[in-house]
Amino acid sequence: MMQRQSQSQIQGVVGPLFDHYQSLPDTFDELFEAGAPRAPFARVLELLDSLGKDQLARAQALAENTLLQQGVTFSVYGDARGVEKIFPFCLLPRLIAAADWAPLERGLQQRLRALGLFLDDVYGEQKIFAAGIVPAEMVLGAQSYRPMLRGIKPPGGVRIHISGVDLIRDTAGTWRVLEDNLRTPSGVSYVVENRLMSKRMFPRAFDAARVQRVDHYPTRLAETLRSVAPTGEPNAVVLTPGPYNSAYFEHSFLARTMGLELVQAPDLFVERDCVFCKTTRGPKRVDVIYRRTDEAFLDPEVFRADSVLGVPGLMRAYAAGNVALANAPGNGVADDKAVYPFVPDMIKFYLGEEPLLDQVPTYVCLRDADRAYVLEHLHELVVKAVDEAGGYGMLMGPQSTQAQRDEFRARIIAEPRRYIAQHRIELSSCPTWIGESASVEPRRVDLRPYILTSRNGPWVLPGGLTRVALVKGSYVVNSSQGGGSKDTWVMRP
Amino acid sequence: MIARVADMCFWFGRYVERAESSARMLASTASLALDAELPSAQIWRPVIVVSGEESAFRERVTESSEDHPAWGDGEIVQRFMVWDRDNGTSLLSSVEGARWNARSIREVLSLEAWEAVNELHLWLPSGVAAAQYRDHREAFYQQVRRTTQLALGLLRSTMLHDEPLDFIWLGVLLERVSQTARMLDVHHHAFGAFDGKNELLENGLWLSLLRGLSGSEAYVKKSSGRITAEGVARFLIAETAFPRSIAYCVHSAYDRLCHIRPPEEHALPGGMSLERLHVLDRWISARAPGERVHEVLTHVVDEIHAICALLGTELFGGL
Repeated sequence: MMQRQSQSQIQGVVGPLFDHYQSLPDTFDELFEAGAPRAPFARVLELLDSLGKDQLARAQALAENTLLQQGVTFSVYGDARGVEKIFPFCLLPRLIAAADWAPLERGLQQRLRALGLFLDDVYGEQKIFAAGIVPAEMVLGAQSYRPMLRGIKPPGGVRIHISGVDLIRDTAGTWRVLEDNLRTPSGVSYVVENRLMSKRMFPRAFDAARVQRVDHYPTRLAETLRSVAPTGEPNAVVLTPGPYNSAYFEHSFLARTMGLELVQAPDLFVERDCVFCKTTRGPKRVDVIYRRTDEAFLDPEVFRADSVLGVPGLMRAYAAGNVALANAPGNGVADDKAVYPFVPDMIKFYLGEEPLLDQVPTYVCLRDADRAYVLEHLHELVVKAVDEAGGYGMLMGPQSTQAQRDEFRARIIAEPRRYIAQHRIELSSCPTWIGESASVEPRRVDLRPYILTSRNGPWVLPGGLTRVALVKGSYVVNSSQGGGSKDTWVMRP
Repeated sequence: MIARVADMCFWFGRYVERAESSARMLASTASLALDAELPSAQIWRPVIVVSGEESAFRERVTESSEDHPAWGDGEIVQRFMVWDRDNGTSLLSSVEGARWNARSIREVLSLEAWEAVNELHLWLPSGVAAAQYRDHREAFYQQVRRTTQLALGLLRSTMLHDEPLDFIWLGVLLERVSQTARMLDVHHHAFGAFDGKNELLENGLWLSLLRGLSGSEAYVKKSSGRITAEGVARFLIAETAFPRSIAYCVHSAYDRLCHIRPPEEHALPGGMSLERLHVLDRWISARAPGERVHEVLTHVVDEIHAICALLGTELFGGL
């Protein structure tokens, strides 16, 4: 359809890339509207279109091979022979117009400020419970709540140094927050690597799109880490569980691009409540740890006595203010699915502002009225257990059997706190290169922007990881279940 | 730098050097086997002995029989030395070892050096490599040597010349000392029996050994073309200008360790390793021509072993 409108204007550039492309019905298409490119993307899509299918197929194969050669891979979990794969990705970018990005950026900053204040409050005075905004049992009963952290102020006053907020777009194109990731969100290395690839493969289209840069993320992250150090000339390190971890490439990538040491727990030890790493020149003090390990494995003295992993005494050093941990332990209470429905109220309570970002309307089964509605409408709703991630512990109402619904009904009645429910959202879709059919087809996407919070407040990387459900008809964008990624081009104003 | 990272740098260097060295030795032996007119066990057995895997080969391949034909079967020996994953010194094991360590210290390597190692890691288990091994053996070994040499060269030309590179190079040099010492020792023992009766054959054998150490032309230059057992031994032990001689490698390794742990900085760990390497360096330069080669080489191999153990306790965070 692109050719029809552009043939007369662009001589000789008749590309069939988007030939026969058809958006999904009743779905917001990120790049096309009523069969034509969305206005801000017209020129860029023309250029991409002119590449043609065979050239895109070649570029895609070349890009995949390059990633493999460069070792931009993840370990396939549980494979003893250490098989590694590249994270599936589609070269065709997802574009975001400047006018769409600006409100998103403000909304994310607002949300992160409120979530930070919420964590300060939960581990401090707990005013929000007294005010009746969030039920105390909802938070204090969560597995992710760490009573031993109450009263501890993190160095630099920051708790959510690095976050990734998962956003989706509904049929009207409205952005909605689906989930906050405030512990150890991953994926940002692919944002930077995908960008290198799309610049290499589509220089003309990229130039025409006037895309905001993402390659300064490591520099900003390093600044963020330095800003919270307890000492003047800080020694910051990245802590990884090791090369078997599926996100190891990213840990290594971040250490390398920030110029920091990549350490494992056995490299660290604590003496007189200070953290040191073992070097070839003896012990060296560590002031900031960007930890990419689960907090349950941070310190066997505190979290899991049965664990041989971790650094004994680390939490003592943290409580004494001698080391900054990014992210702070205990953040899990703020990205708990049960707490998510209350975030708009938190924004009003802590900031006195109206929430700028929408989220997905959610029924909290702990509330009597919500629970009654959920139990009546199980066949229409998506029910989620609050303490399970990655698409597990879910009831997809519209596709469920009577037996499954009966089971969830019993579980909700037994433990209402553990369940929330939402209507299914028609995720937006984006034109995606499908190798098998050698054509461009619509696939569902979400967006994970990354937000860094230093002493000076939150900063949003203009871009993010667009995750795409590569399987036809699928809504699941998780890489563990057939998801891939795309570069996200945020256009300059 | 982090002690564990230093350890992995050191082992990365050792594995890359070991892969290069195995490929070189296998290629020169395969070439020798074509025209040496010797019983083939006399040609191939030393390859197994040099690798230190004699007992594993005896048990797993020859079923503990000393006159099993496998000792002289070039194909079986090469399969064991190239593809056998259970043989820790096989080419495949060395490449996997190099790549595993490289991935674990990816943040300290340059992209170029990392890509060279990763490329070898992807190529070796692929069908392309297997086909080349089958159809064009010489080119197969050449490819392994080129890629490992490329990696070693890229390390020096694209990495910061500081501690990580010093540790990598320390690993390369100490591995090289052991390889040279063991190859010379095994061959000296095996060829010593000829006693000058067949000059042509002996020349061919010594040249093959020198080729296996990339040193045939260098040796001929230094000896004005005279090939003798004493001359070759002297060259491989003491020639300070030859980058694979024991004297050269031990001295360079000492230089590297002086960068890592300067002799005057007594408060830093690593003093005992440094001292022991220094003593070995002086001991080698004090060897007179004509000393019993086997005793010299045994001392060198033992000392290198002890120095590596000391490095482990002093610098790599071992106990």
